Amino acid sequence: MITMRQLVRFGAPLALVTLGACGDRVVENVQVGYRGTAMEQNYQRGDLKAKFQQVKIPATLPPAGASPPGPLPWRNVQVLNDISVAEFNRTMIAMSTWVAGTGNCAYCHNVAAFWSDTLPNGKPIYTKIVARRMLQMTRNINGNYTQHVKNTGVTCYTCHMGKPLPNGLWFYSSQTDYLRHYLDRDGARVISTSVSPSNANRSSVKQTEWTYALMISQSKSLGVNCTYCHNSRQFSSWTQAPPARATAYHGILMLRDVNQNYLAPLQPVYPSVRLGHMGDAPKAQCVTCHNGAYKPLYGAQMAKDYPAMWGRADWNGKPFPGLGMPMDSAAATAAPAAPAPAAGPAPTIKSSSSSKAAPMGTVGGTN
Amino acid sequence: MLEYQNLFTRVQVRTVPEPGLPIDESTGGRLGTGAFSALAGKFGDAQIGPIYLGWSGILSLIFGFIAFEIVGLNMWASVGWDPVEFIRQLPWLALEPPPPQYGLRIPPLKQGGWYLLAGFFLTMSIFLWWIRVYRRARALKMGTHLPWAFASAIFLYLTFFLQPLLVGSWSEMVPFGLFPHLDWTSAFSIRYGNLYYNPFHALSIVFLYGSAVLFAMHGATILATARMGGEREIEQITDRGTAAERSMLFWRWTMGFNANMESFHRWAWWFAVLTTFTGGIGILLTGTVVDNWYLWGVKHGIVSPYPAQNVLTPEQQQLLRGRYQGTPPDTFPSYQQAPAVMTDSMAAMPLDSLASDSTAVDSTAAPSAPSPAAATAPIAAPVKAPAPAPAKPPVPPAGGTTR
Repeated sequence: MITMRQLVRFGAPLALVTLGACGDRVVENVQVGYRGTAMEQNYQRGDLKAKFQQVKIPATLPPAGASPPGPLPWRNVQVLNDISVAEFNRTMIAMSTWVAGTGNCAYCHNVAAFWSDTLPNGKPIYTKIVARRMLQMTRNINGNYTQHVKNTGVTCYTCHMGKPLPNGLWFYSSQTDYLRHYLDRDGARVISTSVSPSNANRSSVKQTEWTYALMISQSKSLGVNCTYCHNSRQFSSWTQAPPARATAYHGILMLRDVNQNYLAPLQPVYPSVRLGHMGDAPKAQCVTCHNGAYKPLYGAQMAKDYPAMWGRADWNGKPFPGLGMPMDSAAATAAPAAPAPAAGPAPTIKSSSSSKAAPMGTVGGTN
Repeated sequence: MLEYQNLFTRVQVRTVPEPGLPIDESTGGRLGTGAFSALAGKFGDAQIGPIYLGWSGILSLIFGFIAFEIVGLNMWASVGWDPVEFIRQLPWLALEPPPPQYGLRIPPLKQGGWYLLAGFFLTMSIFLWWIRVYRRARALKMGTHLPWAFASAIFLYLTFFLQPLLVGSWSEMVPFGLFPHLDWTSAFSIRYGNLYYNPFHALSIVFLYGSAVLFAMHGATILATARMGGEREIEQITDRGTAAERSMLFWRWTMGFNANMESFHRWAWWFAVLTTFTGGIGILLTGTVVDNWYLWGVKHGIVSPYPAQNVLTPEQQQLLRGRYQGTPPDTFPSYQQAPAVMTDSMAAMPLDSLASDSTAVDSTAAPSAPSPAAATAPIAAPVKAPAPAPAKPPVPPAGGTTR
């Protein structure tokens, strides 16, 4: 079987000779499956290069200095109460850069009373309440969905990319019905597991089109072909599918958790300008984080430098120096403490099924 | 004579238009006396008309027009009667069959009733046109090869109606629309486990591609022998001349076998007819006899095995299937109440103060109007199912994109 590297090594000179005049418009086919089965990815080098250059990663802030021991000296800290004072301030600066513009504290805070959840005129600062919930969500993702975010993790910047509103937020409408798979609807699986028709699967062709729309939206969100996750001769087959499909599946589970338990319930908090025309809260989909890249920000490692994003004591087994994490405060956060992947890499699909059970349980909408 | 019959000549004859054979015109006559078109003469016969419609032709056009109007007006209505959007979105607009919950019952007009009406009129139009084709063939004392070949195509068209009848749901029918009917094709194949493994689908493709090859072989052969009179095929059939001898000899030399001037047309006719006929059988078997053609192929040894890519234990696969495993039948978009419980302080927020944008610059000066949805929704209420879709597609809200 020809590996991708061999293919590039032998194919690239040939492509240069034959298609050199086309420059960056050359479509490269990279084999991702068994030979002769058209399991391949098509990349346009120029497109990929341009997209990659568009991704701007903010510089990592210098590590936080020493802090006095003891609890944080501020009132009303509900999530970030397990990090040091210096780390807390560093995180706040970073978050302003990631979401609202560096130093734009007033986007979320009453600058006369930073602890307050209301403005001087008594109105609640919805951005602060949303930001708090988003921090809990980020910790939940980094703690419980390592099947999807692997050891890259996410920060606010993964979705926000320096803007208050991430891309690809969706609302209820007749045009977004298929996206409700990411919220509360089931039934993406339409292909029968038996040769003959039976009542076990009565999926309609319309249902299939709904699934089709969902899958195409994922394909566009990640900038990949169907064969990135599927063997198209039998879309439902797991064993014939590339391993990326398992990663994507955990992403769907993650999105359901995110939408059901974090984004949709914020509906009463938002001002009406932030709501859909049916009055629903903005919700996320694959493109919200992926932005057309198979890995968000093309895999830039940002989370490892910001322990406030983890809600746990280490990143990939590497403890963060100076981070105290009292266990009692962990219970106060919405993210239940991850079943301590204390050491070693994040659990992979092969390692154990018990660590996978946690995210599975959250999807049923029963937690 | 030979000069003007040859495709390569630029000579066009102008004389009194040929009216054709005298026929029984009791059920409708010929319209016009015929005219000449130099442009038409470059591609075919320069004479245009007279046209015979008859009652079946007139009714067929009327019914076809009604179907066309129903489809077009429904598409236009789906963009709120906006002419610009109608043109812009036309390739994606559709008149969809009834949703699955109606089964084979009669739905309201807006829920697929218009679709059934359009389908009825289109089918009637096609049937009437078939009658017209049959009657014209008889009137000219021809064989009925043309109407029966047309009937084969109509059979394939009808299977898209018969298969939904057999599986018991209008919703399986093909939507009217440019891209929507192509999307239906993909979805139909995916739903039934890849039509690639349907042997009748394969046969249909064989005959389809075979038709193209035969057409090319025949056209090339006749053109290549035109200088010997090869294009006068009827004469060559009844009194074989050197054109027929040479073209047959050519194929014997190149592939050892040849059709003759007459039998070749039977080859072409059967290939064309069997394309749609085998295709229709393949459709009728799908969802009725076979629900997953890929697994059917595995069962019958036509699927080539190759190494698995994902090394998953059966337990892991079960886990990945997750809650789909127990999906009950008839659960097209089943709605489940989402438990939405906020755990922090926000639940204590007074509702009436939550509806304005506190980050807006002039929020203190001019409080924005409270959103009725936000103000009336109780905290931690389950997410409401959306109201029925409005006729006009919603404007994408600012900051949100969905497609």
